[in-house]
Amino acid sequence: MTGETNTNEIVIETLNLEKNYDDLKVLKGISVQIKRQEVVCIIGPSGSGKSTFLRCLNLLEKPTAGSILIEGQEITSPHCNIDSLRANMGMVFQNFNLFPHMSVLDNITLAPQRVKKVTKQSSEDMALMLLNKVGLKDKAKSFPDELSGGQKQRVAIARALAMQPKVMLFDEPTSALDPEMIGEVLDVMKSLAYEGMTMVVVTHEMGFAREVSDRVLFMDGGLILEDNKPEVIFTNPENPRTKSFLRKVL
Amino acid sequence: MAIINELFNLGTQLIMSLQSMAIGLYTWLLYVWGKLPLLLEGTLLTLELTAIAVSLGFIIGTFAGIGRLSEKRFIRSLATIYIDFIRGTPLLVQILIVYMGLPQIIGRTVPPMVAAIASLSINSGAYVAEIVRAGIQSIDKGQAEAARSLGMTSNQTMRYIVLPQAFRRIIPPLGNEFIAMLKDSSLVSVIALEELMRKAQLVYTRDYRPFDILFAVSIIYLILTLSISRLVRYSERRLRNNDR
Ligand SMILES: Nc1ncnc2c1ncn2[C@@H]1O[C@H](COP(=O)(O)OP(=O)(O)OP(=O)(O)O)[C@@H](O)[C@H]1O
Ligand SMILES: [Mg+2]
Repeated sequence: MTGETNTNEIVIETLNLEKNYDDLKVLKGISVQIKRQEVVCIIGPSGSGKSTFLRCLNLLEKPTAGSILIEGQEITSPHCNIDSLRANMGMVFQNFNLFPHMSVLDNITLAPQRVKKVTKQSSEDMALMLLNKVGLKDKAKSFPDELSGGQKQRVAIARALAMQPKVMLFDEPTSALDPEMIGEVLDVMKSLAYEGMTMVVVTHEMGFAREVSDRVLFMDGGLILEDNKPEVIFTNPENPRTKSFLRKVL
Repeated sequence: MAIINELFNLGTQLIMSLQSMAIGLYTWLLYVWGKLPLLLEGTLLTLELTAIAVSLGFIIGTFAGIGRLSEKRFIRSLATIYIDFIRGTPLLVQILIVYMGLPQIIGRTVPPMVAAIASLSINSGAYVAEIVRAGIQSIDKGQAEAARSLGMTSNQTMRYIVLPQAFRRIIPPLGNEFIAMLKDSSLVSVIALEELMRKAQLVYTRDYRPFDILFAVSIIYLILTLSISRLVRYSERRLRNNDR
């Protein structure tokens, strides 16, 4: 979605990122780099800190220590404009979090109009284009409670895309869905990946991770224990903990 | 023993007067009919006072309720002090502070109407604030997170996402606040504002038929409160049926 496509450019970089909740150490020093157009999946057992890590990237959680650089800019510094940072990073949640009091169209056009000051007309054109892309062109006037889970999540993706973000963060986007609806959401994410979107995806969908991602991070106990290509992770992982985790879930 | 005797006497008297009242129901109706224009005038003012107080209270309460949840400590304490002070002191005292106390400080009288509206709205605002606060807190945190993740500021998130959903949810408790205020507004009779209660007082100090007139006034209050709670229940049901 951006003009330049220097795929060696580092978009996200964390250095010794730590997060505590009181005495509980959830992230214990995470250093990772994500390049432009990369699709990175994060896997790992429940409670390992995957969501916390993802939510630190757009400061929905405030890191306790360490630094996060987005396109080279230190976002934990007080000089950083958090709102414009977030406007450039889309996020998709497990529970969709659509705004129930607004139509699908309003859900998608609200932020472009209020944050980016896009006109009503062009924000609606964009919304319809995105709805078409996620296969929901006829649902513009519907309300969220009239949609199935899979449709809700596709609207949520369209809503995030409407801000034309440089990065998309997904936190278990298919975990709340009935099995028959998982495919339609993964398909949308797949096409997004092939278009060159930079994506960080926390997921339990190993098939998706294997097929679509460039890299897979295995997290456990607040640390990244393995950072490898999917071929390696899924066939011959280097860390024994990765091996035992995958044996349980596959 | 003396107490039982006393109670017995009271009981007999009550029964006898009830008897005479049953007999005199027609006279009562006739009497009240004559006073109805006066009472309706008072009713109108009562409704007016209540509507203005709850509307202004809604505005005050929205800000105070948001202030109560502010990240800024100063604003939070300010809102808390206001809410606690108002909810922790009698409305009657508040009315008198505005009507009697304030003139001593500002050096000029406050018209009864102004004093009544001011004290009732400030009072209502504190109760509405707690309702608004609870309404805001009842909205799933994911809503605000989704809005913030789109780059919306905390003010925009409050205005476009959280408040519209919270307001829908607090219509029933706001209706109850309206009913409470309707009844409590009778207290401004002490500052000689001629709302329903004061009209009744004026009538019975002249006619010496306090029971007749107070009974009529009770019925008027009852009709008002029952119709409002009906309305609230109706809107509550409609909102539950289409929750958007
Ligand atoms: N707001 C919070 N306050 C206190 N503890 C928290 C909070 N959020 C998360 N935690 C704790 O942090 C740890 C990591 O949570 P996190 O949600 O990041 O795990 P996860 O890897 O996403 O797990 P899952 O696969 O179940 O989503 C858990 O032990 C959790 O209980
Ligand atoms: Mg999680």
